[in-house]
Amino acid sequence: MPGLFMAVFWLVLFGSSFNPVNLVPSQIGGTALSPVLLEQIRAAITSVFGGAANYITFLTAGVISFVVIINAAYGGIDLVLDRQLGYLNSLLSAPISRASIFFSGVMQNFVKAMFIALLTFIIGFLLPNGLQVGTGFGVLNLVGIFAAFGLLTFGFGCLFTALAYSVKQVDSLVAIVNFLAFPLIFISSAIFPLGNFPSWLKGIAEVNPITKACETARLLIVNGNPSSGQLSTLAGNMLYLVVFAVVFAVIGYLIARRALKAE
Amino acid sequence: MKNKIIEAEGLTKIYKKSVKAVDDISFSVEEGELFGFLGPNGAGKTTTIKMLTTLAAITSGKATVAGYDVNSKPAEVRKTIGIVPQELTADDELKGIENLLLSAKLHHVPNDTARKKAQDLLKLLELESAEQRQVKTYSGGMRRRLQLAMGLIHEPKILFLDEPTLGLDIQTRQNMWAYIRRLNREGGITVFMTTHYLEEADSLCDRVAIIDSGVIKVSGSPSELKSKLAGTVLTLQLTDGADVSAMLRGIQDVAEVAKQGEIYHLKLTRTETALPAIVEAITKKGLKISDITLAKPTLNQVFLQITGNTMRDAGRNGDSFGQRVLIERMK
Repeated sequence: MPGLFMAVFWLVLFGSSFNPVNLVPSQIGGTALSPVLLEQIRAAITSVFGGAANYITFLTAGVISFVVIINAAYGGIDLVLDRQLGYLNSLLSAPISRASIFFSGVMQNFVKAMFIALLTFIIGFLLPNGLQVGTGFGVLNLVGIFAAFGLLTFGFGCLFTALAYSVKQVDSLVAIVNFLAFPLIFISSAIFPLGNFPSWLKGIAEVNPITKACETARLLIVNGNPSSGQLSTLAGNMLYLVVFAVVFAVIGYLIARRALKAE
Repeated sequence: MKNKIIEAEGLTKIYKKSVKAVDDISFSVEEGELFGFLGPNGAGKTTTIKMLTTLAAITSGKATVAGYDVNSKPAEVRKTIGIVPQELTADDELKGIENLLLSAKLHHVPNDTARKKAQDLLKLLELESAEQRQVKTYSGGMRRRLQLAMGLIHEPKILFLDEPTLGLDIQTRQNMWAYIRRLNREGGITVFMTTHYLEEADSLCDRVAIIDSGVIKVSGSPSELKSKLAGTVLTLQLTDGADVSAMLRGIQDVAEVAKQGEIYHLKLTRTETALPAIVEAITKKGLKISDITLAKPTLNQVFLQITGNTMRDAGRNGDSFGQRVLIERMK
């Protein structure tokens, strides 16, 4: 599972070497900053990062969305090979519905992706100065986090599965994936908070389902017991992700049904 | 008259609006028959199978399989057929038995029935000892046999075999023939197969259609085809340029005469009577024979004459044109 190594590299190598609160120097031009001011600046930075105690706490959600999307995107390669090796024909000539062929493609990728997502979460947790959950963090938080990522994975899984069934060559799929997956990840709050985004990018990033999933996960990581205001944000995000998953399932199925028709 | 289980009428397949892979072919297969499509690579055999098995859309014409129109009732067709494709589609990581049970699931066979049927098939195809091994440890012949079992697990009425012995050595191929024959004779399953091995069509099929460039050139039982096509071919060259085709045609037991330049190609039904008569007639006319050869065409030559280079490379060498004329007439 290449996605797993990717997750480890991002968390351990990228996440560990960067911590935004350490960007604030303790003295400027030989003059020491007052501890009060230093604390205030650090608190301000932390709040920009959604209250995450360190960068890994912020980044874990981003890395999970990164690996589930890469996994969904490259998982399509197997499906293109299925077509090239003739296995797809055995499915197409069997008395099974075209929908089950499509959704089996989505699900094989979904199961793998969720497994990697869980491992990524655990790795983040185990790292020294790694993922720090808020007080009161429990099973419900975990369920919420993985529900959000599950919907994200499913939605994008449908998109990439449909694309995989629509192309004949692995090369074409890789080209589409590179063109689609990376911008999707960078134009979201996966790696950096939206605060620094130029306004035109911010507009797109705010409606990006990756942003919604990451924000949902971070809220549940940092706040063990979310306030009622936070709960309504969570509910809004979840509804958004449900709609996203359903719409992409329908679109994906329609594309795949066309692609799986006898030529 | 037996039931026609496969019927094709004017079946045509055009790829990308210009490549005619199958061109207006009509044929039928009777229930319980072992029917073969014989032709060189790229003749349109696989395309025909793909149309009959709902994998390729029919450009024009009509096909019914087990009474269902392939175009309008693909789901019904899929329930009645089993396919053994050219490609090996078994999963390398799974065991032999697991591949079989997966195929059974794809055809909605209940688990108990599937296990029982799988054991029968593994026994029939002599794969019992390997059923618990991963497919990646299988030899080429074992993979082909497993593929055959995968196509049979749901007890289809019609089995489509696309080049079932492609890439197998002679001995393994003959074993495979025995399995296919048993399935057909004892299992009563109708078999539609393609091959480019002439001896395979000859030894297995009840009826054969020879296809080339998307067109059925000739069809019939192998023995019919052989008696129609085989026979002695006499090649004759005279020193004088006078055309004696008409005279030669008049001689008894001379079936066909084709003239190409100075060379006459004759097909003789009985060499022992025709040959002396020809020589006598020519001598009587005062003509001299400058060259004479007598050849009993092997089945491979017949096959090549019908489907092979002689058709495609016509004009490239002088002889092939004469042969083509000869073959065209024989039909």
